[in-house]
Amino acid sequence: MSDANIFITEKSIEGDGDGPLAGTTVAVKDNISTEGVRTTCGSEMLEDYVPPYDATVVSSLKEAGATVVGKTNMDEFGMGTTTETSAFGATDNPAAPGHVPGGSSGGSAAAVAAGEADVALGSDTGGSIRCPAAFCGVVGIKPTYGLVSRYGLVAYGNSLEQIGPFANTVEDAAELLDVIAGSDERDATTRDAGDETDYADAATGDVDGLSIGVPTELLEGADEGVVETFWDAIADLEDRGAEYHEVSLPSVEHAVEAYYVIAMSEASSNLARFDGVRYGNSGGYEGNWNEAFSRAREEGFGDEVKRRILLGTYALSAGYHDKYYKKAQDARAWVKQDFDEALSEADVLASPTMPVPPFELGESLEDPLQMYLADANTVPVNLADLPAISVPAGETDGLPVGLQLIGPAFGERRLIRAASALA
Amino acid sequence: MTAQTVQQGDLVTVIGLEVHVQLETDTKIFCGCSTEPTDEPNENVCPVCLGLPGALPVLNEGAVEAAVKIGKAIDADIPEETRFHRKNYYYPDLPKNFQITQYDEPICADGELEISVEGDRRTVAIERAHLEEDPGSLQHVGGGGGIDTAEYTLVDYNRAGTPLMEIVTAPDFRSPDEVRAFLAELEEVLEYLGVFDAERDGSLRIDANLSIIPEEEIDGDAEEIDGDALEAANRTEVKNISSHKGAQKALAYEETRQKNAIQRGRAVEQETRHWDESRGITVSMRSKEEEKDYRYFEEADLPPLQVSGWKAEIAIPELPRARRRRFQEEYGLSEEAASKLTSTKQVADFYEDVAGEFDPDLAATWVADNLLGELNYRDMEITEMEGRLEEVTRLVELVAEDEITAKNARETVLRSMLDDGASPDEIVEEEGLGKTDEDEVQQAVVEAIDENPGAVEDYESGDDGAINFLVGQVMQKTGGSADPGDVNQLLRAELEG
Repeated sequence: MSDANIFITEKSIEGDGDGPLAGTTVAVKDNISTEGVRTTCGSEMLEDYVPPYDATVVSSLKEAGATVVGKTNMDEFGMGTTTETSAFGATDNPAAPGHVPGGSSGGSAAAVAAGEADVALGSDTGGSIRCPAAFCGVVGIKPTYGLVSRYGLVAYGNSLEQIGPFANTVEDAAELLDVIAGSDERDATTRDAGDETDYADAATGDVDGLSIGVPTELLEGADEGVVETFWDAIADLEDRGAEYHEVSLPSVEHAVEAYYVIAMSEASSNLARFDGVRYGNSGGYEGNWNEAFSRAREEGFGDEVKRRILLGTYALSAGYHDKYYKKAQDARAWVKQDFDEALSEADVLASPTMPVPPFELGESLEDPLQMYLADANTVPVNLADLPAISVPAGETDGLPVGLQLIGPAFGERRLIRAASALA
Repeated sequence: MTAQTVQQGDLVTVIGLEVHVQLETDTKIFCGCSTEPTDEPNENVCPVCLGLPGALPVLNEGAVEAAVKIGKAIDADIPEETRFHRKNYYYPDLPKNFQITQYDEPICADGELEISVEGDRRTVAIERAHLEEDPGSLQHVGGGGGIDTAEYTLVDYNRAGTPLMEIVTAPDFRSPDEVRAFLAELEEVLEYLGVFDAERDGSLRIDANLSIIPEEEIDGDAEEIDGDALEAANRTEVKNISSHKGAQKALAYEETRQKNAIQRGRAVEQETRHWDESRGITVSMRSKEEEKDYRYFEEADLPPLQVSGWKAEIAIPELPRARRRRFQEEYGLSEEAASKLTSTKQVADFYEDVAGEFDPDLAATWVADNLLGELNYRDMEITEMEGRLEEVTRLVELVAEDEITAKNARETVLRSMLDDGASPDEIVEEEGLGKTDEDEVQQAVVEAIDENPGAVEDYESGDDGAINFLVGQVMQKTGGSADPGDVNQLLRAELEG
């Protein structure tokens, strides 16, 4: 394991033959199932769990000839923005040592930034690809919900999340997306993306005539240096023939609350299976099976996971379901509608990926609320099921800043074309 | 309701059912694993039905098809779109600690089923019927043998993911007999639809709610109950019932138990009770569990399913009740015979085959009385005769064409067919049962007696000469080929017998 603590398990999995990714090394987030190679989700609960099957994306990597180099560190079960909630320790940011790599797919972003792998796979439930891409100065794509199979991705918020690529360039990320995209009979939520599904071809850098909408709400309260870097990047795109105008997404004010209610509710159910019977520590407890389950979960999960399970359980409970879960679903519908309207007036929307530059290691762990608010610009996209990309926009005080571009459903080609003007 | 003010005669039993039916599909509801029962634990499993991290459910259309058939058979509303929800609870047999089921948009709503109890027809309202996955099964080993007292417990996931249809009735039953009639009718319907295998262990599981309420709370037509009265009365939920006979026994026990309690001025506890089949009693489950909160929410891994088109596309066969009526009209059968002949689809289909070729009455005697009677005696099902029904048809043909006597056909040929597996022609040949001249003479003797009651009366009153008249009749019938001495003796034997 390197000093940066990028991998939880370093293990080479060779692909077959000479497909499009022959000779390419890929780091895979440790919540994506790999047959015969343990898949921990950054949790003590799954420290010894070895899946008997490959996630669909892993099969696709193998068929494409890629070589998996290891399973990367992550916030426990994807619950975090810094990779510090991992039971296997924090990961250092190769682009800004002493700082967090972002999360939850921090290990995957760091692997690409440090040159430990050519490309990487992460998963994005509320920004978990885009945040670490921005913090580590690499490219990350969160695909449209339904473009990439989730079969084998250990669920956190299953109505929100997608697997997506990291790379140093938009073109490389798009090449990896080409390999993993497509409907899968094992995931009933995947959809046929239509005719335009050659992503790498779209990385032309041509933004002439592109109309960019900038949602003013996503700049409010952001770090000054981040905002400055963002506008520099927009100016760069303008120089190449794009135009921008301001748009409004009034609903995003409620997006963080809605996102956390939905994600935590789903998590409380998705993580229920980890009860000590087949995963984690079990046996030897006094009392009945119910108490044994509690003990196993108390021991096996970290604080952030327990916090989210408890809050999610609460939000779904009788008497609170309408007040929280149902309201969050209503807000989700509203956010979708706002994006549809904004995207009817612009080809893509742009914002800083993260409103802040990378935190220092250990800085934020004690204040979960501050962490949740840092997701303000990324979570609305997951609520709306839309695709988004984070590309390096520059630096502020020597720290990487990411630009987020958001497109219409299955508009990945458009995003790739626009983003490839920058990286 | 206070026990003191109520007399036993004023009490009415109110029962509602939740029936879990295992649907007979080749594969499980959310994965490709076989549903075939197997003795080897955890054999028919995969990442999906084991609930492994990352595995996702994909809906088996065969299960949906079966559900739509049931919906049509019970005349239920099938919505444009149906959705799945998660029911969250912790139990060691539940691979994911939630069950994928349906909540506010079930695939069938507002159905009904007509039943007959001692000639009275009643319609039982079915509030809803929905699809869900079966959990695994537990085997408690050592110690007290219960989930909380065993030394350890083994989990078998073979059953996990078997498609279930949960059918929920209104509280429309007024007696355990009605429940039994309903379940028997339901089983018949399900078998007709080909979506259910009664032989499979655990294929039918019943939870019943039983309350005793004062009669005045029931409106005149004996069907509508005051909801408040039902709410006010404590009810018990009886679990672990697995057959219509078991349901009748369990509920009769529970009805008596509650009525006795009320009569003695004791309160009926609101509780869950377990039917102990071997002891024939219901027992209170260990602890009174608090009201469960299942935290239902939509299963995002399964997109809403458009089912509006399915209803028109999926055909269902003629159902037992309709077929029974048609058998009575078309073949002139009694209600009893029609009931027997429609008890399973195979029997009814076979009867129609036979009745198409031969006399419907003869066919009814042969299928309903002889074949089913002999099978029943041997504890066999008609399904075990698959591939041999042609032989039974051949046997009926031998009788219809007078090649063997009905008595021989039934007592020798049919029994030997069932016991030794031989074909009717082989048995007739081997046993030498083909009709001979002697049979012909014997038949003429019987006919002569039947046709000449006057001569028989004279003979019986002591006029021995009357026998000569009868001998003459027989000689005539046999064209003179019989020996008069033999005929004389045969006649005397028949008349004395």
